[in-house]
Amino acid sequence: MQLLSLRGLATAGLAASVALGAGLAAAQAKTEIEMFFPVPVEGKLAKEMQSLIERFNEAHPEIKATAVYTGSYDETNLKTRAAIKAGRPPAAVIMSANFILEYQLNDEIQPLDPLIEADGKTPDAFMGQFWQALHGNAQFAGKVWAVPFQNSTPLLYINATQFRAAGLDPDHPPATWAEWLAAAEKLTKREGGETKRWGLMIPENYDYLGWIMTALTMSNGGLYYNPEYGGEVYYDAPTMLGALSFVDELAHKAKVMPAAITDGKAVSTAFFAGQASMVVLSTGSLSFVRENMKDDYRVAFVPRNLRNAVAIGGASLMMPKGLSPEKQKAAWTLMKWLTSPEIAGQWSRFTGYFAPNKAAYDLPEMKQFIDSHPDAKVALDQLKYARSWFATYNTVAVRKALEDQVQAVITGDAKPAEALKAAQQKADELMKPYVDSTALKLPAAM
Amino acid sequence: MAQGALAIEAPRVRIRAARRLGPAARAWLLLLPSIFFLCLFTYWPIVQVLLQSLRIETFGSDSVSYGLGNFERLFADADFSGALINNGLYAVGTIVPSIVLALALAVGLQEATRLNALLRTVVFFPVLLPLVAAAALFLFVFLPGIGLLDYYLAKLGAGQTNWLGDPGIALWSLVGLTVWKNAGYYMLFFLAGLQAIPQDLYEAARIEGAGAWARFRRITLPLLGPSLAFVSVIALVNVITQVDHVVVLTKGGPSGSTNLLLFYIYQTAHESYDYGKAAAATVVSVTLLLGLSFVSLRTLERGVHYEAA
Repeated sequence: MQLLSLRGLATAGLAASVALGAGLAAAQAKTEIEMFFPVPVEGKLAKEMQSLIERFNEAHPEIKATAVYTGSYDETNLKTRAAIKAGRPPAAVIMSANFILEYQLNDEIQPLDPLIEADGKTPDAFMGQFWQALHGNAQFAGKVWAVPFQNSTPLLYINATQFRAAGLDPDHPPATWAEWLAAAEKLTKREGGETKRWGLMIPENYDYLGWIMTALTMSNGGLYYNPEYGGEVYYDAPTMLGALSFVDELAHKAKVMPAAITDGKAVSTAFFAGQASMVVLSTGSLSFVRENMKDDYRVAFVPRNLRNAVAIGGASLMMPKGLSPEKQKAAWTLMKWLTSPEIAGQWSRFTGYFAPNKAAYDLPEMKQFIDSHPDAKVALDQLKYARSWFATYNTVAVRKALEDQVQAVITGDAKPAEALKAAQQKADELMKPYVDSTALKLPAAM
Repeated sequence: MAQGALAIEAPRVRIRAARRLGPAARAWLLLLPSIFFLCLFTYWPIVQVLLQSLRIETFGSDSVSYGLGNFERLFADADFSGALINNGLYAVGTIVPSIVLALALAVGLQEATRLNALLRTVVFFPVLLPLVAAAALFLFVFLPGIGLLDYYLAKLGAGQTNWLGDPGIALWSLVGLTVWKNAGYYMLFFLAGLQAIPQDLYEAARIEGAGAWARFRRITLPLLGPSLAFVSVIALVNVITQVDHVVVLTKGGPSGSTNLLLFYIYQTAHESYDYGKAAAATVVSVTLLLGLSFVSLRTLERGVHYEAA
């Protein structure tokens, strides 16, 4: 297995770096730290990150930070784990916000409370500078484990030209599921037995689909996992059944959405090509859509059945365990700097993610940006209704247990109720080791 | 007398022993660097995987025991049997057509004319593309409605197909990509094999009045035996070791319909962090691969007719 040979390599690397580190320590007193960072979307993000780190190093002569590009969110997760297992953790990692819980469960990350308190702040006051929706995936189990860095929510994108042609008002996009379905029916174009244009498309590949289903279930009043305990999900529940039945209806009864799995890339391509009138995509795609969409378009909240609610996405900064106090201090300085209003705002304007730090939006350059980009404002407004992201023990596998079944419903291979039962059973099996060693680990009677 | 004879014999034996040991020691010395790296990067990891597959760890406790628990859980896992079945279908779907196609292409493009040289290059071209790049290209070929495939099929009057999004079709789309990618590679081995078949056999057959099919059946095919055995094993290894297209195109979906063994191992190890089960799956699939390669080499080589001279 790759990991095992990796471990050998990492040990060799460790020996080399210890020798090297000893030599360098004698030469200079700078604290050297490494930060792993992913680039989940296309663009020149890696370059921008390097220049940010250069700025940081100039402003902090006592620290020499190095940004290490580690691929996608999943690859960053993998490489971080390998580095931790090899005993050579990076000082900071920009980690997908829903993976933080697992690092905490495995006792691999540092609670940030002591560092916050050393700055003379309370943990709650520190978290208070970030949007409320971001707290759940960063502050849990009584401690602060991560600092939000770049975040997103799902958003409804509509083709305004096609809306007008179908007799709909693009300035009043559908706000409820009823309006959503009605609009989709009007927008769908068929010729003979063939659908020439779909009223609606949603990304249905792994990861994206789970996120969209979270949004739909939340819009239906539900919450399909326990945000306080990583061993429980509620797939087989009325709110989830309602959301999945709605998807089933869109695909099979109304036939306004393809009854086959569409990848996120296929969804954006279809939207640009005018073959899908409405799509649900991340706010992180705002810049991408802005650059590629030729038709007039608008963005709107994800429509509701019972309430407006979506889950956040994106990434936070976390600090692995096992660092020296100097490295911890240096990493903490870097984390605070990267999430400060000015830097967060700059990163937000560059990437399309919204800035987690509320104060970023009080800066003049940010106000100007929001004024000239009304779509970014909608994304920001929806944040009021956002909640924390799906995170459990074994997050990816537990999420996939649901996604496989939702895909089966979309392709017509399963009915919503039985699909959710199967998903629940699979998820319970996956979380069993954790549940057995926590909630079901009871004191035995004499 | 006897003692004297021994005394004379002894040094001669020693010289012979030294001569025998000399080259052996030198050989070991020369092999040492390779052995060192093979041990470090191949044999040691194999031992580690075997150990890992037997090690049973429980969440939240540091106690470790050894046993077959990982294998029991593996065989009870519906995702594993699903991946095994998918891999079986994928094997049959890719190996047979790509070998038949490669053989047909090799026989058809056997004559060294200028046109054939060009056609060989065209057929060989997909081999030059890395599988990841090919998969990234096919992402757009397979796009429903807008993709290259649907675009041209629509001109022929066919409807839209979701090549990667329909669980009944997705695996076969991957099979198609693999056949397209590998046939040219296998053709190369068959072309080389064809060069080795003596022309007088064909002439003799023609004089006896054998038709084209009989010549192929009775001369070409049997004499291509070694190539066929070799290509089959290569194809078999490819079926298990190549998953780039799964990663790029489907991630095993929809509903697990394109999950192959290697991707299952990746998911189990890096998404579920179940290293024990992943190691067990590795052991099972490598054993399977070794067994199948052994069997196919044995059966195919038994029927091989090597040239007498």
